[in-house]
This record gives sequence, structure tokens and C-alpha cells, in this order.
Amino acid sequence: MTNNNLNKLLVFCVLFCAQKTSIVHGAQALETKVALLLHAEPENPKCFAEGMSDLTCFWEEDEERAGSADQYSFIYTYQNENSSECSVTALPAAGGKRLYFCRLSQTQLFVPLDIRVFRDELLIHNRSLFIELVFLLDPPANLTLTSTGTQGQLKASWLPPSLKYMGDSMMYEVSYTMAGSHIGKVEEVQASSELILRGLQSGTKYKVRIRVKLDGISYSGYWSTWTDPVLMETMPGDLDPLIVSLSLIISLVLTLLSLLVLMSHRRFLLKKIWPIIPTPESKFQGLFKVYVFASLEYETRYEEWLGHSTGGLWLRPAYFYSEEFPAPLEVLSEVSLGPALPSSALPPKASEALGEEDEDEKLKRVDSALMEGWRETPQEHWPMDQLRAIHQHPAPWTQSSLLESHDAYVTLNAQNHSGEEPLDDILEETLPLQVLFASGRTSSESRSDLGSFQQSSGLGRLSSQSSFEYPNHTWPPKGPGYTYMAVADSGVSMDYSPMSSSKIDDIGKGVIYTNEYKNEIPAHRRPIGTPIHFAF
Amino acid sequence: MSSISGLVAVLLTVLQWAGRGLPSPVRPICDPRVLDRFIMEARDTENALRGCKAGCGVTGTFVVPLTNVDFVVLETKDTEEQALEVQSGLFLFGQALGAVRESVSRAAVKSLIDNNKSNIHSLGQVLRSLHIKDLSLSPAPAVGDSATRKVSSLSELLRVHTNFLRGKVRLLLTNAPACQQNST
Repeated sequence: MTNNNLNKLLVFCVLFCAQKTSIVHGAQALETKVALLLHAEPENPKCFAEGMSDLTCFWEEDEERAGSADQYSFIYTYQNENSSECSVTALPAAGGKRLYFCRLSQTQLFVPLDIRVFRDELLIHNRSLFIELVFLLDPPANLTLTSTGTQGQLKASWLPPSLKYMGDSMMYEVSYTMAGSHIGKVEEVQASSELILRGLQSGTKYKVRIRVKLDGISYSGYWSTWTDPVLMETMPGDLDPLIVSLSLIISLVLTLLSLLVLMSHRRFLLKKIWPIIPTPESKFQGLFKVYVFASLEYETRYEEWLGHSTGGLWLRPAYFYSEEFPAPLEVLSEVSLGPALPSSALPPKASEALGEEDEDEKLKRVDSALMEGWRETPQEHWPMDQLRAIHQHPAPWTQSSLLESHDAYVTLNAQNHSGEEPLDDILEETLPLQVLFASGRTSSESRSDLGSFQQSSGLGRLSSQSSFEYPNHTWPPKGPGYTYMAVADSGVSMDYSPMSSSKIDDIGKGVIYTNEYKNEIPAHRRPIGTPIHFAF
Repeated sequence: MSSISGLVAVLLTVLQWAGRGLPSPVRPICDPRVLDRFIMEARDTENALRGCKAGCGVTGTFVVPLTNVDFVVLETKDTEEQALEVQSGLFLFGQALGAVRESVSRAAVKSLIDNNKSNIHSLGQVLRSLHIKDLSLSPAPAVGDSATRKVSSLSELLRVHTNFLRGKVRLLLTNAPACQQNST
């Protein structure tokens, strides 16, 4: 028994508390609606319907004028019906006022309703209304925001007020603003319970609220109060695929353009990045030297020669004095050349030597020129001469042996020379540096390894060519086989052309050079006549 | 031969004409916007003729149905009962509007009344589509006088007409079983 009583008491308490909560909640809702209608409805009494079968009317009175609820009478009359009375209740209000309420629990719609309010038999309010036109609904419940999966969109869904027959007459207003902002947008939707908000910013928090009203065709009323705002963040911004693809295309196009520009100007760029070491070949033709052999003595000779030629305009010993000297492959014994030969006789005779002359005479003349050039040097070695001499005479040379050698050739191709002395000078300057091998007849055919020297100072052209390939040359190599290397020395750079030959015999019989002389003098070199040949 | 073919053609045409008047099964018209349009037009007519002087020259009394709706009571009524009320009411309004049309002289008023009359006729079609018998054209239904009342002015008539459409007719269409099957 005691337990049962306790249980009943407990249940009663719970129900009472729940009811109290709902009453409190109901009272709060009523307060907001009253406040809303006080603002929205000018007529008195202010009436509103919350559901399908109810009507709540109220009016406001100042405290000094207000009386008790008993003093008031609320009389309502439906069309073609008898009047009825509603009991009035009073509630205190803010600002020193009192509110008087009357609530009908059973109503008729679509008929006019006359309301009269009396205070102590005095009519204070008179109003005729249609109840279906004064609906004031509760705001929608369960407003939720969800993501639609699309950028800049949110889906708002809610629970419509549960009024039968009126679901398709309801109109909603959705207000959404960015969190923290006061500027918002409003969207209306009819007879629906969800709405997709579009055009929102990505990655932004939005505040959404909603209110409801009947559409006014069959039923009408006032806008409900706003729901409590619901916050939701939109999807974070994503790279627009269009922008990404356009950026890729533009970068690709720029890359291609830059590649094209680089390819078209690669030579220029290479010159800038990897500059070609300038060579004075074009300006100092005929300075190239081909060494079959290089020795230290020859280097000395070369230096001495450089010392002689300081006067030349186009000779810059300091400039030509290259640090690169041909590396010696073999050391030969020194050979001192003979006494100076008369030089005066040579130049004109050198010119006359073109063509068919006695070879010996030619050779002697050139030899004299050579000697003349070398007369100032105590030890004059001509590498080629030495080599040739070695070919022929392995024993130490003498000048006479050199002269007697038939293997050493110095050819001098002179053309249009008009002066002896200048030519003489030229000979002095050029001859010691060069071993001239040329076949006059085949000079045009032979591949020149040396640049042809051209003296354009009015002395005519003195071109010297040397080549290892002269089919008809009279350079009978005899003697032991030799492997040697030809070196072209322009004074600035050295061009080594390796070649091998088991026998010296083969030198002139075929092409020995496999590498073409790079400092080939272009076509302005004039073909010369038959070179002067002389043999030792 | 040509005369026979001509006769056949005429016969076919006549039959086609007659065939139009025959009732044919139609889809249920459940869209509330259809009735909403009728309601709005009735309201517009009521507003337009409210300021009519001397009742626009309309005299006499008209029998109109009651328009009040009590939802509590409505719950107890079935569809057939509601349908009966609606159909008798529409019939009464048709009669009254016909009589009004004869009384008025202004063309503008006449056109408005004609519009409302055609709307009432269309409502009969709608009811038929919902498998509710249209009694608007038939003789006075077996409805007691308690369900009717008398009005003496055009504005009152039009107001009652509007209220009737907004209330009873709409509720009937909303609750029609044919439309309930489609909705959730």
C-alpha cells in the first residue's frame, strides 16, 4: 500500500512538473504572440487562431482605467446564430498595463463573427472578423541545415505546423545571413517543407531562420515569429576545375613558347654561355703552322722568330705568343743551317720559279731565302727539314746534308708580287714558320691544311700552302717508318691531327690527313701557280 | 452517291457534337490551385461590386447555403454528406447568379457575373472528376431549409459565395478520396 501510494505520488509529481513546464512554455509563446499582435494588429480586440478550432482574443487597458475581469463581458455572434459570451481573464503586462483575454475552444470558419466587448455595460470594442483570416501559427519546428554536396549550397528542412487541411496553404519565409553580418537574404517557399539555398559562399558559416504564414487564398493570418537561428558552415572552397585546367594550358603554352625561343636562338645563347675562344685566323692568314713534328728547339726557334717580327702591323708577337706549344713527340738532333744565302736574288727568281724551271735552282733559291731568314739565328732548325733529313739520314745532320736531302721541300708560291724587298721580308717572316708543301699543278686539288697567306699590302699575293696530300708531289719518303703527328699552330690555338704512317713512303701517296684543317682559308685565296720546288 | 456521302459526313459531325456533351472519364483534378483561382475571382467580383450603388440595381432575395465550417463537426461528416452540401450550395448559387444577371443592366457587372457562373459550372466538372456526382444542373437537392438562408443584396450574395467556395468546397476537394490516394 505504501509503495503504491508513493508511486502514485511520484507519477503525479512528474506529470505536474511536465505540465508546469508546458504551461511555462505555453505562457512564453503566448507572450511573444501577444507582443507581436500588439504591434501588427490595429483593431481591438486583437484575435488570433492558433489551430483549427480555437480563437484567442485580448485587449489592453491602462492600469488606472483597468478594472477587474468581472467588469468585462465578451459577446460573440456567428452569422445567423445567437450570441454567446466568453469568460474574460486578466493578466498583468509590462509598462503598467493589463491584458484581458478571452479564448474560444470551438469555432466556425468561413462565416462572419461579430465580437463585442463591454465594460460595465459599456461597449468598448466592436469587431467583425473571419476566424480563418486571423491565423497566427507557431513557428516551424526542427529547422535543420544539411549540405547538399554541392559548393555554395545548403539545404534547409523543417517540420510544418500540424494543421489538417491547411498544409497546402502554408507559406514560409527563410532568412539566411552570413554569421556576423547583418545583411541577409530572404526566400519564400510555398507548401513545402524544405528549401535549397543557393549562391552561398564557400567555407562560410550561415545563420538561417524561418517563419510561416497562411497564403491568404482560403486561409490567412499573420507572420509567425522567427525560429531560433541555426548555424551551418558551407562546404570549403575548392579549386575551380576550370581555373585549374586553364592554368595548366597557359603554363604549357608558355613553356612551349620559351622552348621555341631557346631553340631558335640557341646559337646565340651558346655563344654567350660557352663563348668560342676567338682566333685571329681570319686576320692573320698564313700564320698557321703545320708541324709534322715539334721539338723544343723548334719552339725556341719559334720564339726567336716572334722576336723578329715585331714590326709587322698584323703581327703581334705578344698576341701570338701562345702558351700552347706543340708537345714534342720526338727529339731530333739539332741541325744548323748553312750560311745566309743571297736574298736579293731570290724574290724575282722566286717569281720566275713558277712554272717549269729547274727544280734544283728553285730549291736553291728558296733555300737561300730560308737561310737568309734564319741567318740571324745561331741554331736554326726547321722541324720539317729535320724530319726529312732524319728520314733520309738518320745520322746527325749538317747543313750540307740538309741541302742535299731530297726529301725536304719548301715551296713558295708567289703571285703578283711587285717588289723584292717586301717579298723578302715576307719570306723572312713566313718561311721559317712554315713548311710548304704544295703541288703547283694540283694545288687546287690538294686539300690545304694551312691557311694561305695573302699579303695584300701591294706586294701581291703570296700564298703558301702545305698539304700532306699532294698526289704528284716529289716528296719521296724513304727511310724508316714513322708515326707522327701534324700540328697546326696558329699562335693562339693548336690543332693536332693525328696520323699514322708506318712508312714515310706513304706520306705523299695518299691522303694522310683524316682531319680537315679547320682554319681553312676561304675561297678568296687565289690559286697560285706552280710552286717552287727544291729539294735538298 | 455524292448526296449520300454528304449525309454521312453531316451525321458524323452531328454525332461528334453530341459526343462532347456525354460524360467521359476524366482524371481527378486535385490541384488546389484550380479552386484557388475560382476563389480569387469570386473575391475580386465581391470587391468590385461592393461599392455598387443601390446594389447595382439588383432587388429581391436569394436563397444561399450556409457557409460555416466547424472542424470538429466536419470530422464526423463523411465525404458524401459533404458532397451533398457542396452540390446543393453550388446549385443555389447558380440559380441566384442567374437571377442577378437578369436584373443588372451594366455590361461590366454582367461580365463579372457571367464569369462566376462559368466558374460554378467548372466546379461541377471538377467534382465529377473526383467521382462526385454533379447535382448543380439537377433540380433542387433534398436539403433542408436549415442549411440555407436568405440574402437581399448583391454584395451579401457575392460574399457568401466567396465564403462558400473558400470553406466547404475547398475542404471537400482537399478531402476527396480520389485526391487522398495521390497524396501521402
